[in-house]
Amino acid sequence: MNNLQNAVNLIGRTGIDPVIRTFENGVKLAKFSIATNETIIEANGKSQKTQWHQIVAWGKKAEMIEKFVKKGQLLAVDGKLINRIFKDASGNNKKITEIQVNEILLINPKKAS
Amino acid sequence: MNNLRNKVQLIGNLGADPEIVTFENGNKLAKVNLATNETYTNAKGEKVDNTHWHRLTAWGKTAEILEAYVKKGEQIAIEGKLITREYETKEGGKKYTTEVHVQEILMLGGGAKNGSKVETKK
Repeated sequence: MNNLQNAVNLIGRTGIDPVIRTFENGVKLAKFSIATNETIIEANGKSQKTQWHQIVAWGKKAEMIEKFVKKGQLLAVDGKLINRIFKDASGNNKKITEIQVNEILLINPKKAS
Repeated sequence: MNNLRNKVQLIGNLGADPEIVTFENGNKLAKVNLATNETYTNAKGEKVDNTHWHRLTAWGKTAEILEAYVKKGEQIAIEGKLITREYETKEGGKKYTTEVHVQEILMLGGGAKNGSKVETKK
């Protein structure tokens, strides 16, 4: 029911090795960015546009990401959009949009896994 | 092809009447905030209600639909893509904002326009 109201699907490549945080209670949080590409056909040919997205994953998904996901990995992500406010190092309020992962699929076209 | 890589679907209620900007060449831009709600049961077994706010932008025909048919509080379903862009603040600093660029709208709440679908892919 909740997924119908707030659903994001992305296919793209990770820009960095995921950053993993482990909390006192043992729960893990994985954070990384992925780039999605869009090919636009214009009058004078094709052009590529890249969008960057902040991804966060918790628990078992974070553990899987820690083990298997590196920079440059092609992924499909199913998640939801979260807009939140956090305090940066200087104490200022900053807004960030993140995609919280519900499901993640590693795509390795030529490797036999 | 491009939509497979970057797709957002939201169902929610408008936080305000859409803000419309009309450019010199006649093109329109609509901006509005949409609230999506989710209900879940937490570890203690309590029901929790959560609201998330999303910034929507729409151009051209899609903006005209928002301007003409949708008001504050009404429920819509949208499909679009995520765009993060840079902009300058009044003090001259650079900031990033993530918006949902709307490609398709389905009006869900309010009168004779219930379930009217408008497809205007951009």
